[in-house]
Amino acid sequence: MMGKSAYFITAKELSALGRDRIPSELISASHLIYSSPATLAFNSPGAQGFGVKRAGLAVPGSVMLLVAPRCCGRNTSALGTDGAYADRFFYLLLDDTDIVTGRHLMRIPEAVKEVCNSCETFPSAVMICITCVDALLGTDMDRVCRKASDAAGVPVVPCYMYALTREGRVPPMTSVRKSVYSLLKKQTKKPESVNLLGYFSPLRDDSELYDLLRQGGLKNIREISRCQDFAEYEKMSEANFNLVLNPEARYAALDLEQRLEIPFIELTRVYQIEKIRNQYRLLAQSAGLQFDDSAYYTEAENAVKTCLKQHGTLSFSVGEWSNADPFELSLALLRYGFSVKEIFGTIGSGNFVYVRRIAELSPETKIYSNLSPSMISYKEEDHPDFVIGQDAMYYHPSVPGIRWNGEAQPFGYSGVTALFREISETLNGRMSK
Amino acid sequence: MKMLLKRLSPFAPDHSGAVSVLFELGGLIVICDAGGCTGNICGFDEPRWFTSKCALFSAALRDMDAILGRDEHLVKKTAAALEDTGAEFSALISTPVPAVIATDFHALKRMTERRTGKPALTITAAGTGLYDSGAEVAYLELMKTFAKEKLPVEPGRAGVLGVTPLDFSRVDAGSVVAEKLRNSGWKQVDCYGMGSGLEFIRTASAAEKNFVAAPSGLAAAKYLEKTFGTPYEICCPYLPAALEEELPSLQGKKVLVIHQQFAGNEVRKRVGDNVTVASFFRMEKDLMQPGDVAFAGEEAFLEYFKENRFDVVIGDPKFKRLVAGSAERFVPFCHFAVSGQLEEGQTI
Repeated sequence: MMGKSAYFITAKELSALGRDRIPSELISASHLIYSSPATLAFNSPGAQGFGVKRAGLAVPGSVMLLVAPRCCGRNTSALGTDGAYADRFFYLLLDDTDIVTGRHLMRIPEAVKEVCNSCETFPSAVMICITCVDALLGTDMDRVCRKASDAAGVPVVPCYMYALTREGRVPPMTSVRKSVYSLLKKQTKKPESVNLLGYFSPLRDDSELYDLLRQGGLKNIREISRCQDFAEYEKMSEANFNLVLNPEARYAALDLEQRLEIPFIELTRVYQIEKIRNQYRLLAQSAGLQFDDSAYYTEAENAVKTCLKQHGTLSFSVGEWSNADPFELSLALLRYGFSVKEIFGTIGSGNFVYVRRIAELSPETKIYSNLSPSMISYKEEDHPDFVIGQDAMYYHPSVPGIRWNGEAQPFGYSGVTALFREISETLNGRMSK
Repeated sequence: MKMLLKRLSPFAPDHSGAVSVLFELGGLIVICDAGGCTGNICGFDEPRWFTSKCALFSAALRDMDAILGRDEHLVKKTAAALEDTGAEFSALISTPVPAVIATDFHALKRMTERRTGKPALTITAAGTGLYDSGAEVAYLELMKTFAKEKLPVEPGRAGVLGVTPLDFSRVDAGSVVAEKLRNSGWKQVDCYGMGSGLEFIRTASAAEKNFVAAPSGLAAAKYLEKTFGTPYEICCPYLPAALEEELPSLQGKKVLVIHQQFAGNEVRKRVGDNVTVASFFRMEKDLMQPGDVAFAGEEAFLEYFKENRFDVVIGDPKFKRLVAGSAERFVPFCHFAVSGQLEEGQTI
């Protein structure tokens, strides 16, 4: 099959066009989306990492009933065999008549009852996952869940896996974050309690954020993924404030602010050490905390310096299937003195600001969209020294690299330290072979 | 409750079956979905996707596409991708979204062909059906679109329908099935859609005979017989080596095989009438023997095992836990459409 070569634009060209004139090749809604192993996380977040189905089960002791055509639950077969999720997924399959008439909604209360009665331990909640079909039918799922809850005597929560609304105001992964905190009820605040919102798996154990918050007097730092049981989950509503670490959790934080009067502060995952320091300074000011982050700053700085010293000014290709915004990470790499040949990423209003800065430091950096149909013709022409991200590794299978998409979430200085140590270790490992 | 799965997870759906037939043919495959179905197909139901390139795309439908029914927009995107990839044809495959909004796939086919000047296949699959129904439609559409010309019959040439990784749990199923038939005396054997290209389909009328290895290929075999007079034979030439080794020990025992029907029938052919064949998938009535069973769902499956006991149950490892109390022994026989697992020794 011979087609056009893969579309790319340089940082300089994209910056000159501006955020209002992003080329259609970089806008997913304007073309078909190429499905390669590099885009699996985009097309099916549940296939790897957290999609709505797995995320919905973040509530301890809960089970999930997927109400959908069989195709929507197919990849869940893989999760169902995994220890943490075995026997927690149930399916109410829809037939042709259901998807047109919506008659399946009448069966949901009975199905929830049957599911609960079949569980060895009665579930703490039943998360009902519905899909594009119900989005189009305009199902009032809150009402259906109330009926099911009355019938089965268990909290029933809707999770909207509406892929059709992926680029809308409340995309599925934003909505499900609200769902998983929706069972929290108002209680007396404890000034020494804080919640970390944003991810469905915990921050890396070595994250300085835990220590900094403790230095600031916060003894109870809770994350949903570290809650051992439902009782511990319920304690999340005693938090004095929420720390939002991922913009997709902002909607849930707003809901908690309205319902439970828990205010929130946002931090962003970045890899530029100065930005991290600045964020922590602002956090300390706004939350009235006192802490010293200098040791962590130095450690991260040393990790970068060591990598530079050992391996020189490496050239990178940076992908988006990683625990980083590829544009921000690229900018960080450039500022540390490395070079960036390629970025595989999805540009939007949120990260366009990085393109401007990248264009100043490295105007010829090529920007590709993983989703462009032309990526089927991508050819490795300019080998980088190192690649970051599972998608970038797909394009450069023979170049040393790291996926950097593990479940334990890197954040702050420790994220930078871990990233550069992993880069160094990977390159040192190859040299010793 | 019927349609409720408490112990099993969903089997491969219709659109995955269609993709498994079309995957190797060099076409532009467009899954008319919002993204999730494509991810399911690629990330779970199509093992070849990890190792070989295919122009497989999601239509990336968004809420406004569904509300406004913007078919013209989809045709435009398809035409652009055809140009980008240089693919020989396009195949537009339905999912629940077009099914709910009642997309007219006949119109979509005409619009796409007119705009691109290349053949367009359309396959309606609501995501509610099983893989064999989608594969059946794909085989038929391929034959109707490309096998137009009546060519002289080439003695010794045979074609095989119904061979996909979903049925045979191998990424090289096309070559191993063809090899088995070549060993039985056929000179030129290929499987339609697997291990052969579009040209083999274009020249399908030159086959002396067609073999049908799974129920999904039967409708196309009948079509080729009616259109070109090509006779067909139902025959599943390949069984995994580990299972073949077990077969002699099953003589005289009460055996149940749970798989696709033609594979089950092949086990019976080799072992004897003490074998009962069961399937969650399509069962051709005239190829069933008394006692054979088509499970309507998980509930019927569990009920069946409350009432029936076997010396040996052969089936996908996913069933092992569920039949433990009703069988003395369980013999694994992977069915990718059930568990998404390849035969032992096969890796992606």
